Amino acid sequence: METLTLFELNSRVHEAIEVGLPDEYWVHAEMSSVHVNAAGHCYIELVQKQDSSLFNEIGGGMIAKARATIWAARFRMLRPYFEQTTGQAFAAGISVQLLVTVEFHELYGLSYVVEDIDPTYTLGDMARRRREILMRLEEEGTIDLNKELPMPLLTQRVAIISSETAAGYGDFCHQLASNAWGFVFRTKLFPAVMQGDAVEPTVIAALDAIAAEQELWDVVVIIRGGGAASDLVGFDTYELAANCAQFPLPIITGIGHERDSTVLDAVVNTSVKTPTAAAEFLIAQMVAAAERLEQLTEALVSGITARINVERQRLQTLTLRLPAAYALRKATETHALTLREERLRTGINSLLTARRHRLEIVEKVLAGASPEVILRRGYTITYDADGHAVRSAAGLHEGDTLVTRFADGKTHSQVISHS
Amino acid sequence: MTYEQAILQLDDIVRQIETGELGIDQLTAQLKRAQELITFCRNTLYKTDEEIQQLLQDEKK
Repeated sequence: METLTLFELNSRVHEAIEVGLPDEYWVHAEMSSVHVNAAGHCYIELVQKQDSSLFNEIGGGMIAKARATIWAARFRMLRPYFEQTTGQAFAAGISVQLLVTVEFHELYGLSYVVEDIDPTYTLGDMARRRREILMRLEEEGTIDLNKELPMPLLTQRVAIISSETAAGYGDFCHQLASNAWGFVFRTKLFPAVMQGDAVEPTVIAALDAIAAEQELWDVVVIIRGGGAASDLVGFDTYELAANCAQFPLPIITGIGHERDSTVLDAVVNTSVKTPTAAAEFLIAQMVAAAERLEQLTEALVSGITARINVERQRLQTLTLRLPAAYALRKATETHALTLREERLRTGINSLLTARRHRLEIVEKVLAGASPEVILRRGYTITYDADGHAVRSAAGLHEGDTLVTRFADGKTHSQVISHS
Repeated sequence: MTYEQAILQLDDIVRQIETGELGIDQLTAQLKRAQELITFCRNTLYKTDEEIQQLLQDEKK
């Protein structure tokens, strides 16, 4: 057996590969790193993980790895083609379908040279990943939690998750600060990385920081500017979605994309297209609150005015009725008084008449009983010597002197005899 | 008091006036209270914390 030099052995491997794998091969893989150098060549590290579906396990369960190269001329064509079709930036973290040739270089070893790419695989893969995450959240019953949180009456204290350098952050703040109604907003930036692998851990850390002081905030906004192709794959993770779904404050996303939404957009309370739209949303909420306040103020004024008018009217009506009522009452009372007066008069008259009548009768009787009347009738009254009236003959004796009174005078006589 | 609570109280007062629940004697007191609530709400919407603090300072003087 001969002893070879390394170069010789490598050459043999080179030849064997050239002969054994001469064709172009379509391959699926995940890009764990993508680097474009100054000359425009793209160097990729491809990996295949054990369970590539749900989890974004960093570095875990890897079963295959390889380097791939896209030469500058080819890359200049493939990248825009890929990004326009998928709306996703050609960057680490996504799965791709590549057409490669197999190269082995004595010095540089094995690498795959990329000739073509099929973007629909990536689209399908991204969609699949999102579906899986959403299904899992649905099973756990958490998918609607943030959406069901009621938007507070005032969306005035806004916790912002973004990057200070992110396009859109500055504009967002400016929009709120210079809103046409003069509403006052209070904002604070909780910084996070808005693209690539670092999205998940930094956004979750920002959410934790906000949760720690949640009583200070009304809503959370997650914003970043974006273009036709943005590196959004970092937002399509289970951990991030689960965190947002269960967050105690309503979350609004405005992560600036044109195409289909990320998983994040599907689980948060409100999803809008851009940071500008997010600012408009917040301002619109405040406008609604201000309008309600104005309505109440107007209702207050008109309610009180109406009420006072009712009372005034009441008073007015009573005032008008007063003279007539008084006159009526007076007439009634006067009439009653008059009636009484008459009854009194009549009564007294009757009484007097009756008394008078009785008096007259007594007078007549008395008159009838007086001695003068008897004398005038022709009778006499006899008196004895003592001046007493004599009523019976029995007490008289012969010789007694008597006075006889006539109507027109007296005589003196003596008893001669009686029988 | 929160803005929500203020608005609800304001709602209540307006309702009482509109349904005639409120006696004439209470009208003045409730109107005053409503005006206070409206001022509070307007301040919350349109004034920063610092400006509100300043206003309160001025009121005390």
